[in-house]
Amino acid sequence: MHTKQRSTRFKWRSLVAMAATATLLLTGCSVGAATTAVAKHDLVIARAMDLTTLDPDRGYCDTCQIVFTALYDRLVIVSPEDSKTLQPGLASTFTANADNTQFTFGLDPAATFSDASPVEPKDVKWSLERLANIKGSASYLLAGMSSIDTPDAKTVVVNFAAPNSAFLAIVAASYLGIVNSDVASEHGASAAADASTADTAEDWFLSNSAGSGPYILDSYTANSAVKLTANPNYWRTKPTFDTVTLKEVTDSSSQLQQLQQGDVDIAMQISPDALDQLKNTPTVTTAAVDSFNYTYIALMPGAEGGAPLADVRVREAIKDAIDYDNIVKTLVAGYGKLQGSPIPNGFEGSEKVALPSYDVTKAKALLAEAGYPDGFTISSTYPKIVAYGVDLDLQMQAIQQNLASVGITLELTPVDFSQWADVIGGKGTPITAVYFAPDHTDSSQYVQYFGLIPNGGYVANFASLAGKTVNQAEVDGLTTALAQTGAERTASYQALAQLMADDVNILPIVNPQLIMAHASDITGVTYSPCCNVDLGALGLTK
Amino acid sequence: MTAISLPSLAGNARDLWKRGSASAWLRPPMIFGYVVLAFWIVAAVGVQWIAPYDPIKQVGERLLAPSGTHWFGTDALGRDVFSRTLYGARYSLPIAAVAIVVSVTIGSVLGAVAGYFGGWVDAVIMRIADMTMAFPAILLAMAVAASLGPGLNNALIAIVIVWWPIYARLMRGQVLSIKQREHVESAVAIGASGPRILFRHIVPQSLTPILVNATMDLGQVILLVASLSFLGLGALPPTPEWGAMITDGAKNFYQPWIAAAPGFAMLTIVLAINFIGDGLRDALDVKATRR
Repeated sequence: MHTKQRSTRFKWRSLVAMAATATLLLTGCSVGAATTAVAKHDLVIARAMDLTTLDPDRGYCDTCQIVFTALYDRLVIVSPEDSKTLQPGLASTFTANADNTQFTFGLDPAATFSDASPVEPKDVKWSLERLANIKGSASYLLAGMSSIDTPDAKTVVVNFAAPNSAFLAIVAASYLGIVNSDVASEHGASAAADASTADTAEDWFLSNSAGSGPYILDSYTANSAVKLTANPNYWRTKPTFDTVTLKEVTDSSSQLQQLQQGDVDIAMQISPDALDQLKNTPTVTTAAVDSFNYTYIALMPGAEGGAPLADVRVREAIKDAIDYDNIVKTLVAGYGKLQGSPIPNGFEGSEKVALPSYDVTKAKALLAEAGYPDGFTISSTYPKIVAYGVDLDLQMQAIQQNLASVGITLELTPVDFSQWADVIGGKGTPITAVYFAPDHTDSSQYVQYFGLIPNGGYVANFASLAGKTVNQAEVDGLTTALAQTGAERTASYQALAQLMADDVNILPIVNPQLIMAHASDITGVTYSPCCNVDLGALGLTK
Repeated sequence: MTAISLPSLAGNARDLWKRGSASAWLRPPMIFGYVVLAFWIVAAVGVQWIAPYDPIKQVGERLLAPSGTHWFGTDALGRDVFSRTLYGARYSLPIAAVAIVVSVTIGSVLGAVAGYFGGWVDAVIMRIADMTMAFPAILLAMAVAASLGPGLNNALIAIVIVWWPIYARLMRGQVLSIKQREHVESAVAIGASGPRILFRHIVPQSLTPILVNATMDLGQVILLVASLSFLGLGALPPTPEWGAMITDGAKNFYQPWIAAAPGFAMLTIVLAINFIGDGLRDALDVKATRR
């Protein structure tokens, strides 16, 4: 059935071999000559990409995580074996002081950028300050940073005004890659306080990179492909592949087809339904692995038309009216889990929150108690995308059916992602569906994004739960957790997870498993909670 | 008589059924068209008694292949595709019919006024029509629907905006031709008012080609509604509209029945309407009937 399946890698290999043979014949070289054809390894990955920029301090998306990780090494990295363990990156040593307000990094003397210049403390200081000052979506990661010192030629000290025990985990985030400040500055990049307006390097980053990662940017064509080539001056183990191309393939079926045909080597967003199609394909390896990603619906009483949601009993009723098990079965063919709070399964603090359960009787009673015995009509605008194998449109239609059984009429308006962003940034929508993947391995990000805290995520702007947009217990809980370590911090995050669950404005729907599908001879295809997939770790079986 | 100089399709709408022989109205393709169209009209009207399942509720396992229980299988949410396909007629047919009726009405009135009064009125109306027709129909409809927001009502408005100039141009040509005829000149001579001459003596004589065109266009409009829904600019979920169902099917092309059923439904109805339209054109053709 699959005799035609040959990856592009092998096609290239064959071409190179043929060319080498032809050269040998034409030049009359003997077979025993010293000339040897070196196999060229090209990797092609199919992915529905959400890239809008390649500026490491402006980007904030799932594909950004993959590309930035490949182009820009970070000070520390997450261990591939254990996501809770950090390993040296550009910094061979990293320590925190007793109260987690000062972090000291000792740079590895061997670390170099792709132009062979050494990675210096000034580059680290410049990169972190640029991320903070550019005021992009990922700038929140450095909230509270007060100063950066560079006491000697290999040491960087980052200071915080308040304890931040999450910082070492944050430093491993793909958005905190270190940029060659000399090169970037030459092309308009700025780390100054006015970087958000003074920096003009975004266009330059669309066709260039200035990092110390295993790959360098070769080319980028919007809605088509990102091509990376191996960094010839990479300071650690050189990557296996000479080039890596991330090819835009939007739907799961096409990704499956191209993987089966050998047009691509890795398909990143295969639907769980497709697993059956690949069972009898010996050249393709598949695996369903647990992830920290999830889809959720957000209930926003403060949005136009969201008044009924101001009553917590109504929000509870909606939560109880959803048949979660059936949705997991229907949307991801059972390859997923339920989740109790915005802190996902496997993250610190998620352990003790009860999973949601389906109880129509209780939902009806709560609605009657809240003064809506016959239900009500409410609208929902959401992006029509497939997130981690979950088709948000189908998810909302399933929820629409569930809510109809308790009398709530949910009017659905699926729109393009950019339109949805406009709605969220404008009048809001009472109910929406979204997805979330972690930026780093610390649970603080979930409280910062979903908690009712000042300057929280977009949800907080429309939350107005019982007339308040700030839950002081969550503000205090986060401050406490960031000053703690070990079991104490775990207990604090558990309390925060319960507080957020009790807000009942973020309802996690599916925590799907990731379907990894790739050519059987490729190794290192693993899921990383900070960085999605580490292209530098991919290899070939011998 | 001056009949020879008339456009071949011109004639009084009331005489339609007197034209042509019975065989012209009963050619095999037309009979096929009548039967299929009748089937879909019956399906649209009585679908609640015909469809075996609720079209928006999960009634079985997801992605089931066609079987005795689910004739056209089930979709990604476990909904019965056969029931959804039947219910689809309830959206596609009325919307296309209303779009055509409104387009014909607006286009005919504006075209008639432009043709009869001429001058700047003609220039203004026809330049607007020209501008509208300068855009490919699907692109203009997409632009209008996108600016109004998704939904079948907005899709209807978009289609009317795209389609009315066709009838305005057609009617204007008819009016320009007929207003030179003797009976119109006689009406002018005895002092009849402009609107009376236009709507009493000219428009009724111009309706035949409009009706034939409208019939032919009905199929095109059904496809346009489906196209807008396919692109996410028409029916909103969970409406079982055929174009939206094909979008669902496209996401699951290893389960081809999801898209094939609404696709086949559209194929049959558009084919039927085209056969009827072709037959109508032939049956009402003045030159043809004289042979």
